[in-house]
Amino acid sequence: MSDDCAVPSPSDCPPVRSRVVWAFAAVWIVAVVAGLSVLWAWENTPGAAGDAPAQWPGESGLSRAADAPTLVLFAHPQCSCTRASLAEFAEILARATTPPRTYIVFLKPVGLGVDWEKTDLWRAATKLPGVTVLRDDDGLEATRFGVITSGQTVLYDPSGALLFSGGITGARGHAGDNAGRASLVSLLNQGKTDLSSTSVFGCPLFAFLD
Amino acid sequence: MTIAFQSGAGERVESVTRRADELFAQYRRSIHERTDRLFAGLMAFQWLMGIVFALWVSPLAWEGPVSRTHLHVWAAVLLGGLISLFPALLGLLRPGVPSTRYIIAIAQMLMGALLIHLTGGRIETHFHVFGSLAFLAFYRDWRVLIPATIVVALDHMLRGIFWPQSVYGVLVASQWRWLEHAAWVLFEDVFLFVACRRSIAEMQQTADRTAALEHEVRTRQQAELDARTARARNDAVLEVALDCVILMDEAGRIVQFNPAAERTFGHSSAEAVGTELANLIIPARKRASYRTALARYLMIGDTANFNRRLELLAVRRGGEEFPVEVAIAPISSEGAPMFACYMRDITARKQAERELHKSRDAERQNAEQLAELVDELRITQRQAEAATRAKSEFLASMSHELRTPLNAIILYSELLQEEASDEGDQSSIPDLQRIRSAGKHLLDLINGILDLSKIEAGKMSLALETFDVNVMVDELVDTVGPLVYKNGNTFAVETDGAIGTMFGDLTKTRQVLLNLLSNAGKFTRDGAITLAIRRSISDDALPCVEFVVTDTGVGMTPEQSRKVFDPFTQADVTTTRKYGGTGLGLAIVLRFCDLMGGTVSVDSRIGEGSRFTVRLPVQMVDAAESIPAGVA
Repeated sequence: MSDDCAVPSPSDCPPVRSRVVWAFAAVWIVAVVAGLSVLWAWENTPGAAGDAPAQWPGESGLSRAADAPTLVLFAHPQCSCTRASLAEFAEILARATTPPRTYIVFLKPVGLGVDWEKTDLWRAATKLPGVTVLRDDDGLEATRFGVITSGQTVLYDPSGALLFSGGITGARGHAGDNAGRASLVSLLNQGKTDLSSTSVFGCPLFAFLD
Repeated sequence: MTIAFQSGAGERVESVTRRADELFAQYRRSIHERTDRLFAGLMAFQWLMGIVFALWVSPLAWEGPVSRTHLHVWAAVLLGGLISLFPALLGLLRPGVPSTRYIIAIAQMLMGALLIHLTGGRIETHFHVFGSLAFLAFYRDWRVLIPATIVVALDHMLRGIFWPQSVYGVLVASQWRWLEHAAWVLFEDVFLFVACRRSIAEMQQTADRTAALEHEVRTRQQAELDARTARARNDAVLEVALDCVILMDEAGRIVQFNPAAERTFGHSSAEAVGTELANLIIPARKRASYRTALARYLMIGDTANFNRRLELLAVRRGGEEFPVEVAIAPISSEGAPMFACYMRDITARKQAERELHKSRDAERQNAEQLAELVDELRITQRQAEAATRAKSEFLASMSHELRTPLNAIILYSELLQEEASDEGDQSSIPDLQRIRSAGKHLLDLINGILDLSKIEAGKMSLALETFDVNVMVDELVDTVGPLVYKNGNTFAVETDGAIGTMFGDLTKTRQVLLNLLSNAGKFTRDGAITLAIRRSISDDALPCVEFVVTDTGVGMTPEQSRKVFDPFTQADVTTTRKYGGTGLGLAIVLRFCDLMGGTVSVDSRIGEGSRFTVRLPVQMVDAAESIPAGVA
């Protein structure tokens, strides 16, 4: 890679010499790596973690199943990162040997337009079998469950005890193997897990939290 | 010869190889430049697509009801631009340079990393890596795969260590799993390496074949050019040839008929071409023999009538027969035999030969007549010479017989004159003077005739001796003085210093000058006479002494000047009566000068005077002695 001017004639060789180009290339590589690192860091920075109540909140409008665990995913309908959470949620349901009662609750802040929440995420969620898709006006249900970041998923047993609370993606917007999914699949299939909470990667559900 | 051939073949191979190398370098550079530009476009396209994808998939980041531009959009714009612009500019500004494609390879893999981020780590995006490697193989430079592979391996290694889920889709992966991924990349690299090598080899073969083809084309073009030039030259030669040039095929049909042939035979080239030569220009009665000769050559190679000059009869348009000189030569060429027929109309030559023959006959007759005439003249000349000799001998003997009594008459007339003077008989003196004068005149006349006769009879010889010219002139002046001064003339001698000596005939030299000065004194009255002497060079480039006698006398007309050296000739008959003389003086001068190897000339104008110039060699040779015996 040292023959920078291996050209038929010197006149074909550009005025910028080899060493200048390679020096500039070195700076360029450093800048690109730095940029990717920033992106990488952002994608691996979890959102604010909310504390879900240990018992199913009584004021919740959601109906908890008495004979099966109840699984609830809180999502921001416009959050692109939540697309990965939805995919992982579908994966969990597919792997669960005992289907839980399942809700996907989409935030609908007050004052926004009609069907603001009816995004591709909403439509994708409605296609999942056995899943109840609900609109959460002004985030009341999310607040009841202490959820502040889109993608946070909670699992309660039939008695209303909290089994799991956290994100089901390994990074922001990244589908694939992750600890949250593994824990939920384990709880649903085997009733136990070593990890009851994980970091949540998604958009904040409430602006005042920023 | 063999060495020259090998040398030529070696140069050809070297030339083709050198050209093949040039072409190969051109091809490779062209591919590198083209691929650099393709990647420049691809970089821009990927950048744009990254932005579009980000805007489509994750345009906004939300916080409850509030949105802002998603970081992916900024990453697509800024980071994508950072990755793309530098190599794209290199591809446009420095295409073909190795560093450009290496940096493009790195950038392409970094772009893959960015796209993986933008797509949320979708495993499908990894196909970008493999596609990019395949695209990099467009360079047909396997070295460019190295930096690309290193970037992929480093990316996987670092992500595998710090964030395996982003690249492997699993939470926990072996720390060596990046090697597995790198191995798959290397797996593809192997095929691409082979493809690059084969492509380069094919490119080299193409360059070799193209160089050989170019060489072949150039060789053929040069050969065609040479052939065209030679053909044009031949055509030009045929066009301007003064002789008829007719080309025939093996059947005797005319294939080329030059302008001289058109003029000679009266047929145009368009009419002649394709026609059998025999039918066109050979008299009907000769055609059979012509065809037989042609057939014999074609069958058995009989060349008896070829490659030699023949004189035959040909026929013009209209049937006129005329003689031609013909030479027919087979043309050595590939394919069917051909013949070149060269013809020349020799009608004029034949006519000239006939005329010459006649002229020679006439000349021969004339020569015979001339020889007869010469014989007659020779006889006449001999008779004349004999008569002259007889005359001279007669004159010599007669002069002797005349001078003896004449001297007696003069002597006795002088004695009588003295006695008459002594006795006081004055009345007899004039008569006696007339007798004496007439006798002296007659004696001079006889002496002159005697000298002239001797010269003409070849009996006058030179008495050569060495004498001083100035002394001779001094003595001459003393002798000739009374003759010169007698008419009231002045006389001057002009010498150019000491003239020195001459080896010659003193008596005849003095006689020449005496005659000239005597004449000058005789024909000049109250004038000036000059004798000039100087050294000079004769017309034969020999040293000579020049004597110039000038007078201001009566002079002569050109006609008189031309005759003045003839014997018995004076200016006119009245001259003799007026000035006296025998008319032999200048004739003797001329002959003496000839005898002494000198010259005499005259320049005269009537009424102004005359100038006689005598040139005598300093070293005289007696002609009678110098001529070998038997020749005279």
